Amino acid sequence: MGAAVIQTKGLGKRYGSFWALENCNISVPAGSVSALVGPNGAGKSTLLKILVGLNRASAGQGEVLGKAPAQEESFLSDIGYLAQEIPLYKNLNAADHIKMGAHLNKRFDKEFMQKRLKDLQIPLDRPVGKLSGGQRAQVALALALAKKPKLLLLDEPVAALDPLARHDFLSSLAQAVADGGLTVVMSSHLLADLERVSDHVIVLAAGKTQLCDEIETVLNEHKLLVGPRQNKIPEDDFAIIHETHTIRQSTLLVHLKKGAKVPNGWQQHEPNIEEIILAYMGQAKEGGEK
Amino acid sequence: MNWFALRQHRKQLLIFGILLVIYAAFVIPTGLHFWHVYQHTVADCAQNPANPTCGDLSTSSLFPTTLDRILTGLIPSAVIFLPIILGVFWGAPFLAKEYGEGTNSLAWTQSVSRRKWLTVKLVWMLAATLVLTAAFATLITWWSKTTNALDMDRFSNGNEFGIQGVVPVAIGLFVVSWGILFGAWFRKVMVAVGVTLVLFVAVSHIVIPNLVRPNYMKPVSVTAPFGPRQDDAGSEIPQGAWITSNTIYDSNGHAVLGDIFPAAPPQCQKVIQQATSGTTNDHGTIRKAVPAPNGEDPIAECLDKAGWHQVTTYQPAYRYWDFQWIETGIYLALAALAIGATYWLVLKRDA
Repeated sequence: MGAAVIQTKGLGKRYGSFWALENCNISVPAGSVSALVGPNGAGKSTLLKILVGLNRASAGQGEVLGKAPAQEESFLSDIGYLAQEIPLYKNLNAADHIKMGAHLNKRFDKEFMQKRLKDLQIPLDRPVGKLSGGQRAQVALALALAKKPKLLLLDEPVAALDPLARHDFLSSLAQAVADGGLTVVMSSHLLADLERVSDHVIVLAAGKTQLCDEIETVLNEHKLLVGPRQNKIPEDDFAIIHETHTIRQSTLLVHLKKGAKVPNGWQQHEPNIEEIILAYMGQAKEGGEK
Repeated sequence: MNWFALRQHRKQLLIFGILLVIYAAFVIPTGLHFWHVYQHTVADCAQNPANPTCGDLSTSSLFPTTLDRILTGLIPSAVIFLPIILGVFWGAPFLAKEYGEGTNSLAWTQSVSRRKWLTVKLVWMLAATLVLTAAFATLITWWSKTTNALDMDRFSNGNEFGIQGVVPVAIGLFVVSWGILFGAWFRKVMVAVGVTLVLFVAVSHIVIPNLVRPNYMKPVSVTAPFGPRQDDAGSEIPQGAWITSNTIYDSNGHAVLGDIFPAAPPQCQKVIQQATSGTTNDHGTIRKAVPAPNGEDPIAECLDKAGWHQVTTYQPAYRYWDFQWIETGIYLALAALAIGATYWLVLKRDA
């Protein structure tokens, strides 16, 4: 993993008196595929739109590929973005979209997009409004990839797709990443899908960053502890992310502090990434309700 | 970006190009025919002035058939409605559709700055509006030479003023620009369409023709004794002028508004009583109220003696082009305002 491609400090977005995104601090290393997860309304779309320069932050700073997001060619030419609704010009066909990409981008790889759509057997001459949802998503992804971006931001790209189309889409994405030189941030609330393709995770809940790290590190630093019921648990060696208690036993999902070891008296398990993410989202929910 | 702007609006441009051709197919033959008939009639009347039709030549007397009426009605109407049709089909959806379908975020994440994207699209859209409205305006202005010669109303008739010359081009740019602004503002095509419609009717058909246009230049004012017949008053006002007001004043110089009979001085009340016997509900002018078998008008004579007079203000016909250019300037300024606001909305607001 290389240097940070995305770095934000105290990034926030306010709509009226409501903070859709608050004090967001994330860092995404170059070459990673980062999963941006969180419940609906967590601020995922807002964050992505700020990073790509579509929306303006109300607070804090963001740096993307070493630049502040702007509506300028020099910034936009290195970034690919796929909005949640997968917008395309419905009346134009895929061939027109290829031409559009070639006219609106200097480094656009026409042959790549043509070949890709041909491989996927997507008709070039039919208005994209008449294609299936999965085909439209593939056209949009091909358009974003043909731009040859250094960073690709995808906002719930698979949310509306059926399982097969979802699988195809993620395969296409994984292939593009394997080709190299690309960093991806993809938001979703489908954890299983993200697990397949990502190596970095950002958990956003209640407008705030809950977690932002490489998945390997996250797995190493989090443990599921089971032990006899305790009412007061010292948090010297770990921070409790989630706890459940029965009459006899306590189950904790904890984040181990640096260099700390699990104290004696606890049975130690390895949680999977899905459990950890859910724990963080649950924590944010409780925090919000307090 | 040029290719894309044109590709995106190709269909809209094509449809209106076809409409222009269809319009020309009606306007050119009928225009030639009407002009021919008019020339012929004028030549005839020069030889036989006694011919009854020569006394009162007008569009309706010279072209009386149903078909003539339909043509002389529809051909100008098309240009009256052209600006709002463009506002609805070109202006309002221009940005509202992008916002509505989310394609703005597609366009704004290609390697083109938002400013350039907007500028190129606007230049093509406004250029197309200019060319199309200019073509329609040229056709209708040429076609109207017959009706202008017959009715002399291209200045005084608000609709005629708005469809001939350069004003219709400016109105087209005005409506399309505001349609674009409303589209960027409300981001919903139907809302933008509705507001554009209201604006067009309010500005181009109520406020500007009635409240603004009469004031571009100080009108010429003529004072006449009270009660001159229509023809006499007309003779003092040059042909083709636009009469902007006609006010009756009493001997003290106060304007008489509304019903004149109750306001008439006491010495005339008896005359009024006699001349209008049987008609108690008179709201019209004196001439209308008084049956005058011998052509005399006793009420008018009485009021004239009592010092009543009327003042007519008008804009002489030679000011027609001054008015056209002034109004064009106003519409273009309004259009520029909308375009400026559109830039502000598109560049400053979130996607």
